[in-house]
Amino acid sequence: MTRMRPTFRRLVASTAAAGMLVLAGCSAPTNPDGSSDGTTLVVATSDEPDALNPVLNYGVDGAALIFDGLVSRDGDNRLVPGLAATLPTVSADGRTVTAKLRDGVLFHDGTALTAQDVVFTYQAVLDPKVDSTLRSDLDMVESVTAPDQATVVFRLRHPYAPFLQRLTLGIVPSKLLSGQDVNTAGFNRKPVGTGPYAVESWTPGDRLVLTANERYFAGRPANNRVVVAFVADDNVRAQRMRAGEFDAAELPPKLAAAFDEDTTYRVQRVPTADYRGVMLPAGNPVLADPAVRRALSLAVDRSAMVSGILGGAGEPAFGPIPPTSEFVDPSVVGAPTADATAAAALLDAAGWKPGPGGVRARDGRPARFTLMYPAGDTLRKDLALAVTADAKKIGIEVTPAGLTWDAIDPRMKSDALLMGYGTPYDPDFVSYKLFGSTFAGQGYFNPGSYRSEVVDRALQNGRDQIDPALRKAAYAQFQQQLAADVPWLFLTYLRHTYVLKSSVRGVTPRVEAHEHGVANSIWWNIDTWTRS
Amino acid sequence: MADLAARPALLRTARSRLRLRPGQAGVVTAGLVLVVAVVGSLLAPLVWPLDQSAVALDQTRSAPSWAHLAGTDDLGRDVAHRAVYGLRVSLLVGAVAALVATVLGGVVGGIAGTLGGRVDRILMRVVDTIAAMPHLLLGIFIVAMLRPSLGAVIASVGLTHWLSTARIVRSELLSLRTRPFVDAAINGGAGRRRVLVRHLLPHVLPRLALATTLMIPHAVWHETALSFLGLGLPPHLASLGNMINDGQGSLLTGAWWASLAPGAVIVVVTLAIAVLAARWRDRLDPRVRAELHL
Amino acid sequence: MTRSGRLAGAGAVVRRRLLVAVPVLAATSIGMFALGAASPVDPAKQYAGAAAFTATEENLAQIRANWGVDDPLPVQYLRWIGNLVQGDLGWSTSRHEPVASVLAARAGWTLLLIGVSLALVLAASLLLGALAAYRRGGLFDRALRTAAYAVQSMPVFWLGLAAIAVFALALGWLPAGGLTDVTATSTSWGDVAHHLILPVGVLAVSQAPWFVLFVRDAVAESMRDDHVLAARARGLPGRTVLFGHALRTALLPFLTLVGTHLPELVGGAVLVETVFSLPGLGAVTVAAAMGSDFPLLAAITLVTTAVVLAANLATDLAYAAADPRVRLDG
Repeated sequence: MTRMRPTFRRLVASTAAAGMLVLAGCSAPTNPDGSSDGTTLVVATSDEPDALNPVLNYGVDGAALIFDGLVSRDGDNRLVPGLAATLPTVSADGRTVTAKLRDGVLFHDGTALTAQDVVFTYQAVLDPKVDSTLRSDLDMVESVTAPDQATVVFRLRHPYAPFLQRLTLGIVPSKLLSGQDVNTAGFNRKPVGTGPYAVESWTPGDRLVLTANERYFAGRPANNRVVVAFVADDNVRAQRMRAGEFDAAELPPKLAAAFDEDTTYRVQRVPTADYRGVMLPAGNPVLADPAVRRALSLAVDRSAMVSGILGGAGEPAFGPIPPTSEFVDPSVVGAPTADATAAAALLDAAGWKPGPGGVRARDGRPARFTLMYPAGDTLRKDLALAVTADAKKIGIEVTPAGLTWDAIDPRMKSDALLMGYGTPYDPDFVSYKLFGSTFAGQGYFNPGSYRSEVVDRALQNGRDQIDPALRKAAYAQFQQQLAADVPWLFLTYLRHTYVLKSSVRGVTPRVEAHEHGVANSIWWNIDTWTRS
Repeated sequence: MADLAARPALLRTARSRLRLRPGQAGVVTAGLVLVVAVVGSLLAPLVWPLDQSAVALDQTRSAPSWAHLAGTDDLGRDVAHRAVYGLRVSLLVGAVAALVATVLGGVVGGIAGTLGGRVDRILMRVVDTIAAMPHLLLGIFIVAMLRPSLGAVIASVGLTHWLSTARIVRSELLSLRTRPFVDAAINGGAGRRRVLVRHLLPHVLPRLALATTLMIPHAVWHETALSFLGLGLPPHLASLGNMINDGQGSLLTGAWWASLAPGAVIVVVTLAIAVLAARWRDRLDPRVRAELHL
Repeated sequence: MTRSGRLAGAGAVVRRRLLVAVPVLAATSIGMFALGAASPVDPAKQYAGAAAFTATEENLAQIRANWGVDDPLPVQYLRWIGNLVQGDLGWSTSRHEPVASVLAARAGWTLLLIGVSLALVLAASLLLGALAAYRRGGLFDRALRTAAYAVQSMPVFWLGLAAIAVFALALGWLPAGGLTDVTATSTSWGDVAHHLILPVGVLAVSQAPWFVLFVRDAVAESMRDDHVLAARARGLPGRTVLFGHALRTALLPFLTLVGTHLPELVGGAVLVETVFSLPGLGAVTVAAAMGSDFPLLAAITLVTTAVVLAANLATDLAYAAADPRVRLDG
């Protein structure tokens, strides 16, 4: 045995040496240049589009980088002409909208944009054979025609005040798509548009590489390339941001806050119209009582949610119209902190008496309900738990339930649900379907079957009237009625949080919508960004 | 008098049992860890009840202290408290799933092993087929179909882990069938059922028990992996997978303690089971060992 | 007997295995479609994502009709088989592209990850396992076994996160994720290799304990075999005895079991891909399962099952080629 020892030692030594060799061999080929190329900007997001085709829902709110709509929005979300030479005109009856196209706009492949491309794009959306969910938003369009090469005429079924807001949809070249199945066309992977950037490559699950469009009608982008990295996991995205891989990345508020101390980064907390709230269905025997709904609205501590859950990146919410909107009615704003005493008084007056185990009851019915939240959404889970804790303090027992959407769907008529929506562009967009009684019980439109004649009339007026002052009055009435009825327990408006490298210049955040990803994020104007 | 004479001998053996050889210290520690884990998670609801949906937004992410031994998480919940309940859920999932897998595997293996012939060949072909599919993928499909819930997670683990048990039981039975005592029993006129129950079962049961025990750590990892992929238990419930998943972000924000406690609990408990199993594995046939992925 | 003589029956075995594999794969695909029928998920809503909340029911119903997902299950299955025979794997509703192109773009990376990890694990486990077995109960043996048990107790995604925290964040040696440098203009192999060190390392380390322990036991056992004892008695050097005799004997049972462990490796790869945001099959599998994208699920299952069956066959053939006592009757 003793004789073998040296041999054994040699064995171990040779093994170790071999191991070192393997390691050295693996780590040799490195790429030291990293992102030193000053004209390439790298942004990271979690949301990867299915298809880079506006007809199939890519970047419908504009800022689609690859495409332009007839109109686009500036830093204040005001409509400005895009592919249209001036803002389209609306006829006196509100049913005919005419757009004149800008001269000399070229697609990335060098062909000229014509009115036929616009007509093709909108007709494709309206074609039942095309898998576009955008059709629901354009259901007022009766026809789209091109009387000449530079004019597009939309004919509407009924007057629709915010119609121009729907014209941000990117325009696709008809030549490349007509006669094909739009759903499966190769175009969806390698699209051609008129936008500031052309697609160089798209590796699904990894990244999208865009190169500057030298012939962009609004001027060549200030940088040469943009890389959009798709990193689904928040923590991985944060780690890679920390490793210096990205110029900008969207991160959840708490992960973003970790970059606050570091001067090489800048954290942007962008105001949004993106709200979270609890839908309180009329079909639930406890929640059907307005006193319970009002008491809940008094009992929730919105400011604790903003600071404790959102890390300060948000505002208390009291209605579906964001504080940044010109249509907001300040009179509906309540106290940001909880008032448990007032809430308890409301419940007492309505006959909900404290019962065994601290749960109130009326006529033998305990004050309890189930609060559903989508299981994959951490923020909604956290808010649901916060609501549960606040309700417990006033003797209402809430049972949170984390479910998948297909399990939530059939229960929305009778169980509360943590929902989120919101767009800053027009108050009609989401609210008309969410609170209108004609949509009661139809899928995700008004799932709780809220019915109010006042709200119905106000929403209809808001959509029919062209005069901004009349619209404003209509939406003020709508907000007041909602605040009185509390069909939703509005909790918070979010701020979308982004971490950027301090060296990036030209960032101008604007109020964001619920949906944001490759398009319509803080990098909506990335074509003007530079690095110092 | 005989009693008195016997006593010193008894004491001697007792003492020698207590004097541990170096290798045994680990085994005893592991045993203690397991006992504490099982008893703790059984008694927790009586001793230290937890409101699963409670949050405390005014004390989020506080570092470990006397009030919160393992700190608090993003929603101000006590990490140590939830880790105990997480372990409870994980052990429950592990034990029930292992039981499901053992029963299923035992039945399939038992049928194949006692009937033999064509039935055996068909059943084993089925087992091979399922074994050829990555069981995490299968588990994902099962959860996706049943929707994430406690039952789905148990089904996902139980329905994917019975194959090795089936194989072990079958090969055990096949090898027993050739043993003289079985022949003798059959020649003696014993019916098939009697042979199975009286003679074969006692030989197979210890192996089954071992397989079940060894499956528990697998089940615990499986549960955490599903939770990590967002397919586990409802996310507000305290489970080790959910806690690690939640705590992942806290690592980056400096609240390292949020995932430390649940991670440490998993490692310590599964390590304890592995250490105990290591005593058994040396006595096992290498093929059986491989089946159990030891 | 010559080596080729030993493999004489191989052709017949391959044919017979294929005959078995076809019904197996058919059953697998039917199973996937049956799961699809039982699943409550609406693929149209899943496809619409956030837009599902603003889309009308008629709009969604029309999309379902376009896809034919409301047709009876046998109709859907026969249509799928019909297309499959013509080389069309179908349309992925969750990825919104042909299943074939999802696989083409992603399967390669998953195979690369698994392949390199497997090679690394095999090499390392043979070496380490043999060394541990050489002095059973020695310091190295005990340390290796302890390490193996400890690693075995750690969930692979936890290992992955820890590796990122140490090597990417604290030390800054390696990238934290992705396949290539985000600004790279093309996919260069050096860049990919640099990005794969951590994922491959983590997958290999997480899978290593089983392999190391198995080799260690098998070698330790064969160290007591007559011919090994004889070699030692003749005074051959330790290295020769260990690698020339003992390890060689232990290699055969080990090889056959590698195939059975492959599915475990695939499961680990799914998690590792998620942690390191690699564009392999892992992430799409989870999304496809949640979105009831059964054409894609069926294809992924078929491919992985086929790969595992092929690997099993290959190891059996290798076993037979190496050991004259084994008959290929499978």
